[in-house]
Amino acid sequence: MTANASPASQAPAIPKRWSRYKHPESLYSYAGWLIAFSVVVFSIEYLNIPLDRLFGMFGRMGEVIAQRYYPADIDYIMDRDYLGYVIETIQMAYLGALFGLLITIPLAWFAAYNMTPSKLFVYPGARVFSMSCRAVHETIWAILFVSILGYGMLPGVLALTLFSAGFAAKLFAEEIEAIDMGQVEAMRATGANLFQVMVFGVFPQVRVAFTGIAIYTWDVAFRAATVVGFFGAGGMGWYLKRSVLQIETERVAAIILSIIVLVLISELLSAWARNTVMKMK
Amino acid sequence: MDNATGLHVMDMRTDEILARRTRRQRKTALVGVILLGLVIWSVDVTVVQDTDWERIGSLGEVMEAASQFAGIDFSLFPSLIGPTLETLLIACLGTAMGAVLCVPATWFGAMNITPFAPITYPIARLMMTLSRSVHEIVWALFFVAVFGLGAMAGVFAIAMRSIGFIAKLSAEAIEDIDPGPVEAMRATGANTFQVMLYAILPQVLPQVIGTVIFEWEINIRRSAVLGLVGAGGLGLVFFRQMNTFNFHGVTSVIIAILAIIFLGEAISHAIRRRMI
Repeated sequence: MTANASPASQAPAIPKRWSRYKHPESLYSYAGWLIAFSVVVFSIEYLNIPLDRLFGMFGRMGEVIAQRYYPADIDYIMDRDYLGYVIETIQMAYLGALFGLLITIPLAWFAAYNMTPSKLFVYPGARVFSMSCRAVHETIWAILFVSILGYGMLPGVLALTLFSAGFAAKLFAEEIEAIDMGQVEAMRATGANLFQVMVFGVFPQVRVAFTGIAIYTWDVAFRAATVVGFFGAGGMGWYLKRSVLQIETERVAAIILSIIVLVLISELLSAWARNTVMKMK
Repeated sequence: MDNATGLHVMDMRTDEILARRTRRQRKTALVGVILLGLVIWSVDVTVVQDTDWERIGSLGEVMEAASQFAGIDFSLFPSLIGPTLETLLIACLGTAMGAVLCVPATWFGAMNITPFAPITYPIARLMMTLSRSVHEIVWALFFVAVFGLGAMAGVFAIAMRSIGFIAKLSAEAIEDIDPGPVEAMRATGANTFQVMLYAILPQVLPQVIGTVIFEWEINIRRSAVLGLVGAGGLGLVFFRQMNTFNFHGVTSVIIAILAIIFLGEAISHAIRRRMI
């Protein structure tokens, strides 16, 4: 009798009618959408966004572009002086990314949960440090370093260093956390110390990924480098600031155009370099 | 005989492999030398020539300048609540607007659903790159010129900056979908709009929402600085504290920025983990 009853009681209850909406999941998703929409409505209310004048403003946007920004002053950016600043910007991005990556290697090691020397002390410390580097915007770093070290390219390089370190450390730590632990275990079993495990067990596995991340970091650092000068840290941002303050809008348009072109070139270069590196694997 | 030729072939291969390895090593060494040269040149220009070492002074003086920031102006915190909320809401609204505005770019930018690939695909790619390549400060400068000072310029700057990232990842998600449901819907005579709504959207929605939340997290960080160029939020307070040399107040503002960023990161992490 018991043998007869048990299969029947274990059989899953067949729902009477099929429904597109399953009870708890649909509730969560509707609640999520409701919260999202109410946040949007509250933001519009709190920030005093004039919805009624919004579409008129798009017309005004076109007007502003056509009247003030339209014939971009290309001659201004073809100046030798400006090209010098462009080279400065590239150097700043290059150095910032490089120093940042040098910091990243130990930082990512400490911030990768599977490889960190101490999960209790070093791991949270490294995580908080890399998170803070990432959380504070590069322009704020630039302002702080300018106020400590004065105008020039050094504060720009330092700001970009911290920015790149925070950016690359996260990606690189994730890469280290995804490695195959077999080789690490094998090395540990033979009595290798922390350094040896890192150099011979972990690094060969993440080498290619690290090169890709390094190139990407340079690309992102260049994008950031175009504006740190706006707050006094050298490079073409300073030109931008000067033109903005002088309300030379046609020059501003030309500078923005040059930034777009340079970023496009750097993006293409970085995509090409990353593809090459991936193929070499 | 067979054995001998086999050995000969192997010898040739070994030679070739060795030669290739030498070539590769030379190439690596060359790249290394070029990179090192670039480093030395850049360090020389930026750090040695361009820096005003007299102004910086000794290490002690640098530490003294840095220690001005060591300290928190607690009296500032009550007046920071409003700008902090404003920063958070600029990020929310900007992300929402970016998510809405990125729909056409996503549609045109996904190779498998773009209406007319030779023209619309490059247009969409250009839009994405334009949006991502212009820094948020530059977008904010432009929108402050258009809309005047205030939060609205910040919202638009954030939205414009978000379009590229969301559209790119969403378009990639659409390119990876299972074409079965699309074909099935087409076979029953559904039009393009119906196919998108019922066959494509359900497949990519979780991924797109994940991307939007991730972008929101980044946007909090961005909206905290837009005030530096007049677009409202904490950046404006930061700018004022800096200009009045209230360095302890600057530290307070940075703490407020860090607080909302950590909050955003925690929320985004929790939501994305639940969804996946």
